[in-house]
Amino acid sequence: MSLDFLNAFKFTKKKSFLHQLDPRAKLVLALIYTIIALLFNQIIPLFIIFLSLIPLIIIGKLLKQWLKSIRAMSFLILFILILNTLFISFSFAVAMIFRIYIMVSAFSLFFLTVDPNDLALSLITMKFPYEFAFSFSLAFRFVPTIAIEAQNIIDAQQSRGYEMQEKGLINQIKNLFPLLIPLIICSIRRAFNVAEALESRAFGSKKERTYYYTIKYTAKDWIFTIYLLLVLTFFIILKVQFAYMPEFFLWSLPV
Amino acid sequence: MSGIEKYQTMIMVKNLDYRYPNGTVALKGISLKINKGELVGIMGKNGAGKTTLIRTLNGLIKPTRGEIFINNENTNLKSIAQLSRNIGLIFQNPSHQLFANSVEDEIKFSLKNLDMSKEELQNKVNKVLKEFDLEKYRERSPLNLSGGESKKLAIASIVCRDVGILVFDEPTLGQDAREIESFINLINEERKKNKTIIIITHNIEFTYDYIPRTILMSDGQIIADGPTHHILSNDLLVNKSSLVLPQAQQISLALQDSGFKNTEKITTKNELISYITQILTNNPISEED
Repeated sequence: MSLDFLNAFKFTKKKSFLHQLDPRAKLVLALIYTIIALLFNQIIPLFIIFLSLIPLIIIGKLLKQWLKSIRAMSFLILFILILNTLFISFSFAVAMIFRIYIMVSAFSLFFLTVDPNDLALSLITMKFPYEFAFSFSLAFRFVPTIAIEAQNIIDAQQSRGYEMQEKGLINQIKNLFPLLIPLIICSIRRAFNVAEALESRAFGSKKERTYYYTIKYTAKDWIFTIYLLLVLTFFIILKVQFAYMPEFFLWSLPV
Repeated sequence: MSGIEKYQTMIMVKNLDYRYPNGTVALKGISLKINKGELVGIMGKNGAGKTTLIRTLNGLIKPTRGEIFINNENTNLKSIAQLSRNIGLIFQNPSHQLFANSVEDEIKFSLKNLDMSKEELQNKVNKVLKEFDLEKYRERSPLNLSGGESKKLAIASIVCRDVGILVFDEPTLGQDAREIESFINLINEERKKNKTIIIITHNIEFTYDYIPRTILMSDGQIIADGPTHHILSNDLLVNKSSLVLPQAQQISLALQDSGFKNTEKITTKNELISYITQILTNNPISEED
């Protein structure tokens, strides 16, 4: 059992149009794509929305990492496919899979291209209290660390004969305790250590803070935001006028 | 123990390579042989590939190339659970494995998959708690133990499985002198049972005093393998591994630089003490000096 797939959500510095954008513009991207994904439950419009994300992934030079994050979701996809096919229809299940892919891809674009430090700065410019912004970016920064720790815990338990695959749902849930308890304890201990380390460096001693780096919403960010708003408007109109759309928009699988 | 059994090969590694998914080459062409009952130290600077090597031994990571044989069986054909019946890997951080409600349950969890009857299991737990001096903590939560006690419990929870090979990752790290002494006693006890023991450590004094064979690693390769006293007396090898010579060796070199003769024979603390005693006996220091 490997947790390597979590690297698919880890920020790496790259030179691309998407990386250079303001984190707030990318947050708008993630939110708008989530909203438009929720507007529809037909295959064709969701597929078009999904396709419209692919050029952004290519521009951001993120194809490899994005494919990893998509592959990592295979278990969840299977779950959605089985449940929706059983209770609604196969066609609806496929549409829901596209919806999940859109949401995960949009947020994966955000996490892959936003430096945790810039994230804190952007929250501060959005008038969030510094303590809140800092904790948020710190939590964001600790995701890969916790993934490494979780992998070490799995390895340590496997070294003493622990086996993940046990029959029955209750047994499988019980089986998570040897992994979850050490992970929670280690995370709480780390949180206390980080808090003490911050306080020993006078965190929060001054209410007014100045920043060495600042971020600005440039013309590039405005153009991108306008593009996103146009996409949102287009899909809202599409939703409102859905009955007048060509028939293939309503196409569904025969099952 | 017969002579044949004594020299039976326990671990055989052939041309082992390992590359992490991100492309980092961690092991390059590792080949080694460890006999049953041997006590081997693995040393080297951080990032040399020591931990990766021991993780390949019990199947936690699969080699990119090459083969590992444990007791003549290819590890590529076995699951981690099967391999864990032969190899016990004790990690640096005990808090990564302790989770049960009590110390007793923690030991029981390790024995769960060993097909024991309830009675056998309870007897084994009692025996292990006694051996490791953990009886007084039987009902206590493992999360409320001190650092040294948690480490002891983590070791006990692996040793109780009666595996043939014990692998320790940095067992002396953060331990006080008494804890290290108790660890040495444990190693001696396990050696009496003819267990094969591998220890990863940066503690050169500990290696020099207690481990007869040392493997030095650098950049994913084995750069030296042989008797500890030969390897750790080699200034060049020691420097390459970001280590410092043992104190006795450092003093012997300092004495040599100051013009003292026959210092090259000094390899241990005891030899150093007798050398200095001899000098002082021949040239007593007067009170006026």
